[in-house]
Amino acid sequence: MAKSSAVISSKKAHALHKSTTGKSGLKSTTKTAGKVKAASPPPEPVEDEDDEDEEEWEDEDEDEEEEDDDDDDEEDDGDDGVDEEGMARLMKLLGDDGLDDIGHAQLDALAGEDEGSEDEDDEENEDESAGEDEEGEKLEAQSGDEAEDSDEGGEEDAEMDEDEDEEAFALDEAESVDEDAVPRQKVEIDNKVVLEQIRETIKLDPSLPWTETLVLSYPHTIDVDVDDDLKRELAFYKQALHSANEARARAAKLNFPFTRPSDYFAEMIKSDAHMERIRVRLLDESAGIKKSELKRKEREGKKFGKQVQVEKIKEREKSKKEMEERLKGLKRKRKDVLDKPSGGGDDDFDIQVEDALADRPAKRGRASNGRGIPRDARDKKYGFGGATRHSKSNTRESTDDFGPGAGRGRGRGGARGGRGASRGGSRGGFGGGRGGRGGASGGRGGGGGRGGSKRLGKSRRMASK
Amino acid sequence: MASILKAQKANAKDVKGKGKRRADEMEVDEEAVGIVGLSEKKKKNKQRVLLLSSRGVTQRMRHLMMDLEALLPHVKKDSKLDSKSQLHLLPELADLNNCNNALYFEARRHEDLYLWAAKTPNGPSIKMHVQNVHTMDELKLTGNCLKGSRGLLSFDKSFEDTEWGRLTKEVFTQIFGVPSTSRRAKPFIDHILTFSIVDSKIWFRNFQIMEKDPVQPNGPPQTTLVEIGPRFVLTPIRIFEGAFGGATVFSNPEFVTPAATRQLAKRAKGMKYNSRKDADAEAAERREKRRLEEDALGVSKVFG
Repeated sequence: MAKSSAVISSKKAHALHKSTTGKSGLKSTTKTAGKVKAASPPPEPVEDEDDEDEEEWEDEDEDEEEEDDDDDDEEDDGDDGVDEEGMARLMKLLGDDGLDDIGHAQLDALAGEDEGSEDEDDEENEDESAGEDEEGEKLEAQSGDEAEDSDEGGEEDAEMDEDEDEEAFALDEAESVDEDAVPRQKVEIDNKVVLEQIRETIKLDPSLPWTETLVLSYPHTIDVDVDDDLKRELAFYKQALHSANEARARAAKLNFPFTRPSDYFAEMIKSDAHMERIRVRLLDESAGIKKSELKRKEREGKKFGKQVQVEKIKEREKSKKEMEERLKGLKRKRKDVLDKPSGGGDDDFDIQVEDALADRPAKRGRASNGRGIPRDARDKKYGFGGATRHSKSNTRESTDDFGPGAGRGRGRGGARGGRGASRGGSRGGFGGGRGGRGGASGGRGGGGGRGGSKRLGKSRRMASK
Repeated sequence: MASILKAQKANAKDVKGKGKRRADEMEVDEEAVGIVGLSEKKKKNKQRVLLLSSRGVTQRMRHLMMDLEALLPHVKKDSKLDSKSQLHLLPELADLNNCNNALYFEARRHEDLYLWAAKTPNGPSIKMHVQNVHTMDELKLTGNCLKGSRGLLSFDKSFEDTEWGRLTKEVFTQIFGVPSTSRRAKPFIDHILTFSIVDSKIWFRNFQIMEKDPVQPNGPPQTTLVEIGPRFVLTPIRIFEGAFGGATVFSNPEFVTPAATRQLAKRAKGMKYNSRKDADAEAAERREKRRLEEDALGVSKVFG
């Protein structure tokens, strides 16, 4: 990785500078702090101490240096690429110490990496050191630029640079560092070149037929909301379905057995017992769904059921009442017959009761309503208003008249009376009443026809007296 | 029936000529099929995978391993590795078992599961974090397939977008693809393993391929899928150059260790207590500030 970073830095040190500061705000602040410290003339004794530390550190790391000599060389090459002039000047000014310092830092970073990340703690340390590594390079590049700009300031810059480096590396040396003070930045390693090389080395022979690998690529990327389970699984299903269909087509082309014939039996990956459990569970599930559906329906039915029940009861009561009323009316109508069991009327009454119970109130209603002729027609026909007294008694003229209308009153009255008797209650009204004078039976019919009123007919009243 | 015989014959042919071989020779080997006397050379994909776990796996992790073993007939299962720090033993172990791939499940703290997928003698190795494990035992996964049938492998397009994705695809193709030479392999295909990258994680699913509609057995053949399981999600952490070691060639910057997530959650929980205590202290302070000094007209002086 360090190699790759070196490459990057040689390409554009400034861009890297920007990116690192952008990545870790904390780191940049520590760096500036270091600068501020360095800017003020450093007290002598402190510097001495620093130097000592440096030396010790060097001694410790010399072994490592020897081990990873190649890497070190590479690193140096990379650093030279940063800014050759500036670097050369820097090296002259710093002497061996400075160079080793940087080299050590990078070495350290490398070593940290080579150990691999068997422990998570290791990973973190490594990341830190890698970050520092970058920083160191950046600082060099900067100082190099500065040195170019002003020859006078060159020396001071170099001094400062050294101090800065020390500041930066002090973190590594320190045994116990406050965790919060150290910016934890995960450095992304993505060494594409090496990845591709590795892939080339392990790649299967491209001339292998498809049937050897059975690998398929889905031509779409899956772009769904990860938290939406249903959509996500549907996307996976679609991918699998697409691939399965493609595979079937390919297999057909290559004459490769794909579908299992129905008479091929072999051990399955899930045992029969397990599949039975799955089946039972599925059945249970569907039964549960059915049951809950039924329950739901029932509950809903209960809600309406009460209303329905009340309505039914009301209806029943109403019909009962009606029936009673009808029977009562009938009884009233036939009271006389019932009272005097002269016979003959019984059958008639039975029929009428049946009629009443047959639930045909329309007929009855019409009868009670009177005949279908409207009022004015009836008035016209039968007359309305005017003097009625003696209007029907004979006068001289009527006695003398022997025309076609002669004897009308009596003759017709008799005929009508007879008709009224024959028809009974179904007709009634005026005719019957008028006919009543003609015969006894006619009078009776009239009483029936008038039914409902408590007052009996005149003849009846007379009779009962 | 004839088709079966043919298929079986083809399979037997594949198996023939397979002896014990050193792992690094196994990759792709060319062998002459001299049965009929044809001098035709056939290329074979030969893979064997060592499957093992570290100590401290839970029941669910163990079942996941069992499922993979059942699903992949070219897998050789080995006993648990005793030490988590001596991963360099694994390539040797794979070599002893004639394997050229390894799947190593590393359990930590009895709750976190890591999966190493490695090409053994020379690398690379991919370290991944395993989450959301559902095993085949779950009754919701209703599919079934032949034991040891060769599964199709389906990768979505995201694998082609990144270099690490391409490498991962290559490694998975070799590890999860059942070679035709595998002894226990069945000649038909009735399931498909899908790998999809969503949310920069690799999602694994396994579906049964049903050619006939169970509702309409006599209707036109329609492919439907039923999930068999297992299912899990892999978060890539690192890719190393060597087998179980070597330089890191890729590291996922987005990966947060499960320990860190737990710590965060715990800390957030702890903050509740802290804030309550702070509020208490503040309230006491305010009360202290509000207290009036005793003067001549104080309540205690007047009424006391």
